[in-house]
Amino acid sequence: MINNPSHPKKGHLKSKECKFTQAGIEYIDYKDTDTLTRFVNDQGKILPRRVTGNSAKHQRQFSTAVKRARFMALIPYVTENLR
Amino acid sequence: MENNRRKHILMKKEFYEMLYILNPVQDDDKFKELVDFVNNQIEKNGGEIVDVDEWGTKPLAYDIDKKSSGYYVNVYFNAPHSTIEPVERNMRINDDIMRYLTLKYDAKMKRHYELKKKGDLPVIFDDEENAETEDDN
Repeated sequence: MINNPSHPKKGHLKSKECKFTQAGIEYIDYKDTDTLTRFVNDQGKILPRRVTGNSAKHQRQFSTAVKRARFMALIPYVTENLR
Repeated sequence: MENNRRKHILMKKEFYEMLYILNPVQDDDKFKELVDFVNNQIEKNGGEIVDVDEWGTKPLAYDIDKKSSGYYVNVYFNAPHSTIEPVERNMRINDDIMRYLTLKYDAKMKRHYELKKKGDLPVIFDDEENAETEDDN
């Protein structure tokens, strides 16, 4: 499907690349909550790699950073979904 | 000789950062006292303070000890590893320190810290405006 240019789903696919790699980040800081919340859903769960396109290396670093930030009450463990 | 080498390893200083949260329900003088208390603890146990960054009172993402805000302090210091244990023990005993997290910096983290101090950290989301224009097309 990826290699077939006439595939109907082709238009929806974005070529994903790791944002951290692009920016040349070496260490993801747990104090930088603005960045962390970009890769977390509205419940506060860590988004999977297949959604964000993070590289494996950065995803590992990122998940540690999120867990540290949660411990220090910078970002929530769970957000209650009000309906 | 073995002993000497051991001693050398023990005295080797590492770069640490610590973030801790103080109980917000007290006077400004008390905050200062507590920050001094922590700094003294670090220095007494062989460390040297590099930088103290007080973030001030911030809302917490969830309640800790029935409090919804906290006074954040971020300390950077050089110390041998034997410093950390007594400092953390004293912080644990102190009821006004609600939480703390100490990290030892490796080379990558140090480079990140230097860049942060200089203020030229790589930007991750500089493509926001571009993304908007693409949507218009």
